[in-house]
Amino acid sequence: MIRKLSMLMASAMLLALPAAPGSAQTTLNVATAGDQNMVDYINDYLGPKFEAANPGVSVVAVGTGPGDSGSLKIFEKLDAQAKAGVEAWDVDVAVVHQRGAAQMLASDLLAKYRDEIATGKLVTRDTADNALGADVGGYVMPMFHSQIAIAYNPAIVPNPPKTYEELVKWVADNPGQFGYNGIKGGMSGVGFVMGWVEAMTGESEKLEKGPYDPALKAKIEEALAAMKPFNAGVTMTPGNAGTLDMLNRGEITMGPVWVDMFYTWVADGKMSPEIKLAIIGPGLPGQPMYYIIPAKAASQDLARKFVELATSPEVQAEGIVKRFNWYPGIDAPHVQSQLDEATWAKLFTDVTPDDLATKGKPFPLSDYFTEILETYERVAN
Amino acid sequence: MNASRTDAEAVRPARAAPTVSEPSPAPRRLPESVWALALLAPSLLLLASLFLYPLSLSIRSAFTERGGDGGTGNFGRAFDLYGGDIVFSGAVACLTVAIADILAIAIAGYLTLGRNQTAVAWLRWLYRWPLFIPFVVAAQMMRSFLAKNGLMNNAIVGLGLLEPTQTVGFLDWRGVIVTFVWKQLPFVTLIVAGAMASLDRSMIEAARNLGAGRLRVLIEIVVPQIRGPLVVASVLTFVTLMSVLSVPMMINAGSPTMITVDMAYRITSLSDYGTANALGVISYLMTAAVAWLYLRQGIRRDGVPP
Amino acid sequence: MTRALAWIPRGIVLGLLAFAIFGPIANLVLWAFAERWFWPHALPSQYGFEFWGRVFSERGRAWNSLGTSVAIALLTVAVSLAISAPAGYALARLKVPLRALMMLAFLLPQAFPNLPIYMNVARVFYWIGLNGTILGVVLVHSLHGLVLSVWIAAAAFASVDRSLEEAARNIGAGPLRTFFTVSLPLAAPGIMASAVFVFLESLDEFTGTYFVGVPDVMTLPLLMFNASMGGNYQIAAITALILLIPSVAFMLVIERFLKADVIAKIGG
Repeated sequence: MIRKLSMLMASAMLLALPAAPGSAQTTLNVATAGDQNMVDYINDYLGPKFEAANPGVSVVAVGTGPGDSGSLKIFEKLDAQAKAGVEAWDVDVAVVHQRGAAQMLASDLLAKYRDEIATGKLVTRDTADNALGADVGGYVMPMFHSQIAIAYNPAIVPNPPKTYEELVKWVADNPGQFGYNGIKGGMSGVGFVMGWVEAMTGESEKLEKGPYDPALKAKIEEALAAMKPFNAGVTMTPGNAGTLDMLNRGEITMGPVWVDMFYTWVADGKMSPEIKLAIIGPGLPGQPMYYIIPAKAASQDLARKFVELATSPEVQAEGIVKRFNWYPGIDAPHVQSQLDEATWAKLFTDVTPDDLATKGKPFPLSDYFTEILETYERVAN
Repeated sequence: MNASRTDAEAVRPARAAPTVSEPSPAPRRLPESVWALALLAPSLLLLASLFLYPLSLSIRSAFTERGGDGGTGNFGRAFDLYGGDIVFSGAVACLTVAIADILAIAIAGYLTLGRNQTAVAWLRWLYRWPLFIPFVVAAQMMRSFLAKNGLMNNAIVGLGLLEPTQTVGFLDWRGVIVTFVWKQLPFVTLIVAGAMASLDRSMIEAARNLGAGRLRVLIEIVVPQIRGPLVVASVLTFVTLMSVLSVPMMINAGSPTMITVDMAYRITSLSDYGTANALGVISYLMTAAVAWLYLRQGIRRDGVPP
Repeated sequence: MTRALAWIPRGIVLGLLAFAIFGPIANLVLWAFAERWFWPHALPSQYGFEFWGRVFSERGRAWNSLGTSVAIALLTVAVSLAISAPAGYALARLKVPLRALMMLAFLLPQAFPNLPIYMNVARVFYWIGLNGTILGVVLVHSLHGLVLSVWIAAAAFASVDRSLEEAARNIGAGPLRTFFTVSLPLAAPGIMASAVFVFLESLDEFTGTYFVGVPDVMTLPLLMFNASMGGNYQIAAITALILLIPSVAFMLVIERFLKADVIAKIGG
């Protein structure tokens, strides 16, 4: 019996050895924050494409979860290695939110690589240099741009509210029918709250462009205090996916969702194609997610090649837009030329470029961002 | 014991050891306790490094404010932001324990006093199933089972008891309590049934012979005698519930929620160890009162832990 | 006739209980085999194995996670037993100084909610570089398993007939030899039971791994949790079913051994 046990333990030890690829192979470690679709993007599309173009390389993707907590985990990993004096870090490329990138830059964890890759010039948008007020120019490449919109069931809600004020009235008349995921379940809920604050305070300019004015605190608190009675009439959902799921199962009829996640769910058969999207006024935020390369990543060259591939017009067209329904990270004209009319137009079925231009907003500045989240917990919960 | 020792000593072949007339083997006792400590050392080391040290760290961190000095600022923030959740957690845990206790007594009572052996056998087979199903899996099951248009409501609608528009989703505090009770009931029942089974049946028989109904026998004779094990099971359940993260995260999306979710949020989204540990200390205090009961019951005189 | 009538209330109660217990499990099975399930349909509109294919595909994380989970569980059992068997023997047979304090020490982890402890263990591991490693997770699981296995080991050794041990000592066997040839084999059934408990607890463990293992160590419960929160109910259901298999198997085996009076001694 003891002999059997020892053999069992020995085989366990062998099993526990990390499933490392053979010594002839290099591994490119990619860590990505965000929902499962981010990991799927690398596992199902980008990884195999890169491996095909670079034989001997294997791409390993690890997801760290949605929302800022996912980006925070990546920051903590890199920070721990930096503090411990490790020379070759175990993350080669990471995909993080804007706040995460700013935080990493502030701790000197990033490599300045944008000017070294061919696709660096293909993005001229403000978001490639400015992450919620922090200057990240040269350190990041946008992977995609996403937008939050309100999804609604037109069979039950033929005339959805068009502004936040109208929404408040609608929720009062239809309790429990509107659902969102609060501020802990993912960024679509956070974005909805940010939009609320901008609508109710009327201070979009200041909140988005700054400078940080502590006097705004009182106005923010007032706006969020009004959210408490609003919250009493809504259904809380467990996350970005939770809102989509409950919408699909008829448990809510309206809720804020990420446009790309929505279209992916429809394509996957997880969402009824009857559901439509609209951006309520004065606007809802959207955000890019960034490719970053840690300063001491183990495979610097491979990492740059990877980001170059990921931000090339072909991959942006086929991967980002066509397969995963995101708005491109690099400038639109480069990508539009790679796609046929119909596919490009699909992105804009419910949310037109006009809508995006007028009602698609960035998130507020970092300091306001934090303040709004804290105030929400205090007064609106 | 002494008799066998002298016999054994008579039989034992002569060793280099001292003769029988030697005084009590004082030199041998020291090595024994040293041996004992040596054998216990690895477990104590693990306990100290992975439990006691983090415990002390958490208490220290709870009293360390953002600037680095000591203070109760974290507790202030914890009560300010999560006061409702603290009350909610205590209420949910107590309610779960109460419901589980009542149901456990009912089931165990039937197992002990039931007359129909087939029904008893079925019951005994049935109630144990959730015992080894982990909380994560239970949460996943309940998430779609208890939803507004989930299987439970669909079954009720199918039986014609409710209209589809009248169905109520249980994905809030009720769902959390249902999931907790579902998972913990077999545990409490097992302990209670075991205790009941080892009772002296003569008292029960006597009462039944005098004409007492089974329910009365259960409440007035059986339950008072199994109070000890019942308290132990209840306390263990309470402590377990104050530590479950998956169930409230997956089932109760809104507010208020269990403070475990708040602790996880503070750590993973904001790296705010101060407030998270303040919440942790609050949960220790809540369970300390309950656990004190357990410890009083727990250490029996013969030293073998229950 | 009255016998049959008497079965009506019994039947209803048993039926309700069965629905309450097996309903959620049945729901899980349905989701595992559903390909399309929209409201307002009460049942899936399309069944199939599509998601099983996805879960077990080469790039699917399930194989990896399953391997990781099982490896961690086996290592945890090894570590727990190696540490708790000697400790249990010491508590049962030897004169332990400050015995009451020791007993208290081993009871303590059961008295505190473990989530705050795990949070801080993760922080310590992060400082010493053990966060996100298999060793870190095994240590955390071992602590959880230790508490249970020390108790059971102590009880198992205490129940070994002392006269047998003494007989062995009397014919010249040293203490170590007596332990390995007499005490351990006789206590083995109890220790094996604790090994199975520890294995199951490690396999199903979520909270500790959530703090200490993420993001590198992906066990099956974490995979299931991520799939569920991501709205991937099919994948969540399939991984949940995989997790259920060892639990159910254990249940069926233990049915035969779970005697009421043994249970009375635990916790009573």
